[in-house]
Amino acid sequence: MFLARVVGQVWATAKWPELEGLRFLLVRPYDLADLRKGPAASPSPDAAVVVADVLGAGPGEDVIVAYGHAARVGVEPDLAPGEKPHRPIDAAVVGIVDRWDVEPAARKRST
Amino acid sequence: MIRGKVVGQVWGTRVDARLRGATLLLVAAEDAAGAPTGEVVVARDQLDARRGDSVLVAFGSGARNAILPGAAANRGVLAEAAVVEIVDGADA
Repeated sequence: MFLARVVGQVWATAKWPELEGLRFLLVRPYDLADLRKGPAASPSPDAAVVVADVLGAGPGEDVIVAYGHAARVGVEPDLAPGEKPHRPIDAAVVGIVDRWDVEPAARKRST
Repeated sequence: MIRGKVVGQVWGTRVDARLRGATLLLVAAEDAAGAPTGEVVVARDQLDARRGDSVLVAFGSGARNAILPGAAANRGVLAEAAVVEIVDGADA
């Protein structure tokens, strides 16, 4: 899983029927240098991932994204025990973040 | 799996019900020499890893096995990454 900031949304009309009802968001993952700058920082704009969302995350919010099987489980809140998730996705929002905390890098003392 | 250092934690109330109560750590991945690669993953933790600890993180069904061992039982477990070991030491 990774921490990312929602920066936009993606729409489509032609798609697999199994994708009906899912929203797709554009998110930017945080790297270590971004997180060291503290909660006011934005992730650097050099990477973006499209992720499915059933939790209702909006632009500017930070989210936890899961890949693979966990993503397919994540978009099926009512999955019965033993039932296999079937949607053709591989990344999904599994949590909207209220707060994250990373210690800033130690600053060198100026002498 | 990757080796990394625990650098922080994430909290949220609007999370998938199957993630409620889970400890979610921010782990900075490290290369073979122990230097941070820049990538940070969010991993479930049941070992009580602390900030600054060096940990091993497993992905995929390995992570699900760490949360609930047994492939039949854990297909509904929501975990894509999990701390599976707190590292005491490593060579090379």
